[in-house]
This record gives sequence, structure tokens and C-alpha cells, in this order.
Amino acid sequence: MSGNPIDRIATATPAVMAKRVRGLSDRAIAWLFVGPSIVLLLAVNIFPLIWTINLSFTNFRANRLRDAEYIGLRNYERILTDTDTWQSMQATANFLFWTIFFQVLIGFALAYLINKKFKGNDLWTTIIVLPMMLSPAVVGNFWTFLYQPQIGLFNYVVEFFTGIDSSSFSMIGDVSLAPWSIVIVDTWMWTPFVMLICLAGLRSIPDSIYEAAECDRASKWRQFWTLTVPMVLPFLMLAVLFRGIENFKMFDLVVQLTGGGPGSITTLTSIDLKREAFEKWRTGYASAYAVILFVTVFGLASIYVKALNKVKER
Amino acid sequence: MAEVSLQNISKSFGNQIALQSVNMRVPDGSFVVLLGPTGAGKTTILRMVSGLDKPDSGQIIINGEDAANQSPAQRNMAMVFQQYSLYPHLSVRQNLAFPLKSPMLRTPADEIKRKVAEVAEVLQISHKLDNKATELSGGEMQRVSIGRALVRNPQIYLMDEPLSSLDAKLRSDLRIELKRIQASLGATMLYVTHDQIEAMTMATHVGVLDHGRLVQFGPPREIYENPVSIYAASRLGSPKINILPASLFPAAPQGAVQIGLRSEHINIGEGLEASVERVERLGDQTRLHLKLGEQDLIVLTDPHTKSAKGDMVKISPKDPLYFDANGERIK
Repeated sequence: MSGNPIDRIATATPAVMAKRVRGLSDRAIAWLFVGPSIVLLLAVNIFPLIWTINLSFTNFRANRLRDAEYIGLRNYERILTDTDTWQSMQATANFLFWTIFFQVLIGFALAYLINKKFKGNDLWTTIIVLPMMLSPAVVGNFWTFLYQPQIGLFNYVVEFFTGIDSSSFSMIGDVSLAPWSIVIVDTWMWTPFVMLICLAGLRSIPDSIYEAAECDRASKWRQFWTLTVPMVLPFLMLAVLFRGIENFKMFDLVVQLTGGGPGSITTLTSIDLKREAFEKWRTGYASAYAVILFVTVFGLASIYVKALNKVKER
Repeated sequence: MAEVSLQNISKSFGNQIALQSVNMRVPDGSFVVLLGPTGAGKTTILRMVSGLDKPDSGQIIINGEDAANQSPAQRNMAMVFQQYSLYPHLSVRQNLAFPLKSPMLRTPADEIKRKVAEVAEVLQISHKLDNKATELSGGEMQRVSIGRALVRNPQIYLMDEPLSSLDAKLRSDLRIELKRIQASLGATMLYVTHDQIEAMTMATHVGVLDHGRLVQFGPPREIYENPVSIYAASRLGSPKINILPASLFPAAPQGAVQIGLRSEHINIGEGLEASVERVERLGDQTRLHLKLGEQDLIVLTDPHTKSAKGDMVKISPKDPLYFDANGERIK
């Protein structure tokens, strides 16, 4: 057999296959490779999307045999005028804002500290990153224990530091605290992710840039604001994008922790949507709801990506 | 504006010895060129003076004061880095203005504008001022990097091979320009290069470094005419000095093993016979590549010489330099 690797690969192709493939143009072969994924994409993404849009104009209920009727924009009208929907949208917006706010702040600070050269910083990175690797269901479950007013470690720690009686408040049970309980857990779990991305950004800045700035007599403060922050900003924005999209569809963690309660104070849109679709079985209504959410996320994300590109070009 | 002196500076990185007790005095207003191959410790000296690195032992005295505890900013020097180190997210204009915006200086805005324009003019990058630093060619980046040093009036300029990426024409322009700026400001300059032409034309003093040791320090002519060793002699002069066995020629002093002959230090017309291997005509001068027995050497001759390949010429040394077995000069 010839020693040339290309020849070896060529002769390695079984004769039957070789015969079949021979005579195909490059383009045909390209389609052969791409085809299956396109079919799959159409079947599991594009078709359901179109079908959902179609259903959103009907009063279809998946648990009834009766045929669906087209009712125009009635579903949309009802959703957008429903105060409960607006409440869940608001809960989602608050949840998004505060989780991103804390995760960016703490994540960047951690990355900044970890990036300093000290002994054992690899070990610390691994330890910090651990929460991210757990299952959200597990995290939700054990935080319900931590939040227990009588036996929970969280309440105990709060009592230890502030002197507030640990059994006098319940993170999950109190209307004013429940939104914060999910923000805390999500921040605990996902700050490491933001940290990792920021760390990548910080590591991409060569030391020599800081040396030049040092010679140019820029103070540490000025170096931070005019060099570090602008150069990490694209990475930070990417982290915000990822976290934003992830948290917009937040479901498992919150369901496990608060179940949307107390009342409906932590009912995020995805939880609300799931109830409409699979508990109340208002399929048409839920479809319209899904379309509204889709357009919102899609719109926000594309505006954001434009901004991100602008920052990168700068 | 500033006098710098290095006293017994040593530095090593792990097992690698970068500098071994270097003593050097850079007089106020002088233009000191550090010469030596890669790894000789040139850049390390710059970094020590800048304050970016600290010596393992020894002192750096700037204007009579021990600089050990002074930050780079306090030392008030401007450095041109070999790898340019531009701020990649800023435009050329912003890069040039960056040092002027230091709160220590409080430069007014129109002053910044004027200085940036002036420096850009000198460095021939005015048309690129609004480009991003990453959108430049290597030579342009290097010029911005020089510009970032020139906008200020520091005590000391430190330049690490600042002209290495430029084409020949620009390099000779900037050589003159840098020298002019340095002389007119009376600035102290510490300059690292491989290029012996830069050393000869710009330097008031040349420091020759060999494996972290300063082997010779003095005016370029002195190093050219009175080198302490073969190593120092080989740093300056183009074509390179001819090194031959001392026994080839009569009248070698006691202990001389090798003889060093610069190409203009060879008389043609009498002495040993050598054959012409190649004639190199440069216009203002002509070089003969000769073979003397087993030895190759290069001789400067009359620009209009009639010699051609295969001719035999007679040569004898004029003002030869003798070196001992270790390559040290015998006077």
C-alpha cells in the first residue's frame, strides 16, 4: 500500500461506497452532509414555530376533541390586557435585572481577583466554579432546606451576622423576600459563569499593555477604567447576553424553590406559560403567549447583539 | 535633564543570568546605545531603569537619588517597547494623547492636540491618526509607539529597538529625526539596537554587552578603534573586522594569538600574496573579498580599482589589533 496518507484514505473507502460516491459533484456532497441537519432543524424548530403562530390565532384546546376556531387577535388582546400576565412579566424583568446586576458585579470582581497571580488560584477557580456544575433541580432542592426558617443554614447565618431572629422570616414564604430568594440562588449558581468569561477577557489583555500604561504614568485607577474595562467589555456583554437569555426562560430552579409563590409573586413568564398550556390546557392562548415572548426575546437579543458588535468594532 | 547610574546591577530569571554586576554611568543629556546580540541583557537594563523590573542586587541612581522605591511613573521616563504595546482599543490619536492625559501633567486640550499633530508629522503618520491601533502595519505601529514617547518631555527616553520594523528610507529619516529631537531637548536617551549604523551615527556612548556583562563602555569611535576584545571589535564596523591567526604576519607581540584587521586597515601593494575571490562595488567604495591561504578576508580598496576575480594582490597590516587566546586585546 502506498505511504501517502491521502492515497491510504482513498483506498480505505469500501469499493461499494466509493462507486456510489464517485460521480457526485462537490455541491451534491455538500448537500449530503448538510441535508440531514436542515431536515432536523425544519422538523423540530421551524415547523413547530410556524404551527405555534398558526395556533395562536385559534381557541384550540389540546385536551378537547372539538375543532379549533379562528378567533383572530383575540388571544393577543386578552394576554396584553391581563394584569396577571403583566405581573409575571414584571417579575421576570425584575428577576433578570437583579440577577444580571449581581452576577456581573460579583463575577467581574471575582475574575479580577483570581486574575492576580497568587498561589493556588487554579484551585480557587475550580472551587468557585463548582455551583455551576450542579443540576438546577438539586440546587433548588437543597436551597429550600437552607432557606428553612427553623433549621435552615441561611437563616442561621443571617441571624449570626445581623441579630435578626432566624425564625422570624422565611425567604421562600414571605411575599417581600421570595423574589430575592430566587435572585440569591441564581446568583450563587451562575456568578461563576460570568466570572469565567470575564477571566477570559482579562487574560486576553497582555501584561505589556499595563507596562506601557505604567510608563505613561497612568494611575492604577485610570488603567482600570481606560484599559481594563473597555477591553473586557465585549466579554462582559457576551456574558450578559447568555445570562439574559438563560434567565428569561428560567423555570426549573424557581419551580423547585418557590413553585411560583407565595401567591404568584415569583411566577415568571415561563412558569405562567406552562400553566396556561399544560394545566389549564388553553393551547391557543398559550401559543399566543409563546409568540409574544419569542418576539420579545428575539427583539431584545438582536438589538443587544448590534450593540455588542459596535463595542467590538470600537 | 537626568543622569542615571547603575551600580553593581545583577538580575537573573530562574536559572538564566540576565545581568552580572553591571556598572554604567549614563551622563546627563547623553545618547547611550546598548549593543549586543539577543539575550545579552540589553532589554533587561532598560526595564531596570524604567522601574518595570527590580534588580536582584545593586542600585539604580537617578539624579543622585536611589530609585529603588520609585515607581515607573515617579521616575518620569518614556519607554518605547520592542513589541510596541499600543492600546489596541484606542485610535492612533488617542494612543498618542494617552500619556499627556496623565493627571500628573494636566496638559490643556489644545496643547495635547498641537503636540499630537506635531509628533505625527515628524513620524509621518498624520494620515493614520483616526485609525484604530490594530489597523496599522508593523512599521506604523512602531512609529506610534515612538510617538507615544516623544509627546512627553520625560527625564529619560528608553527605546528598545525602535526602528527595527521600518524600511531603510524611513529608518534613516528617523535616525536623524530622533537624534535631532534628543539633542534639541537635551534629553538623556538609553537606546537598544542590533544595528551598528544606528550605534555609530546616534550614540554619544556605546555600551557593549556580552552575556549580561558590560564589557566596554565609551564613545563609539573609541570602541571602534580601541576595542577591549574580539567580541567588542566585532560589534561595530561593516564589513565586520577580519580576524586572522596572528602568526600569518610578522612582528606579532608576545602572547598574541589572533590579529584583528578592519577592512580599511590593510595596505595593498606589498606583503603577503592573496587571491581576489570577489569584487563588491558599492559606488563610493569597493571591497575585495580575498583568500589568504585558508583565510577569508575583506579589504577596502580604491573605488575605481581594476582588480578582478582571480587576480593576485599583495597585502600587509596597518594599525593591527592583537588579541590573546581568550580573545582579549593585547596593547
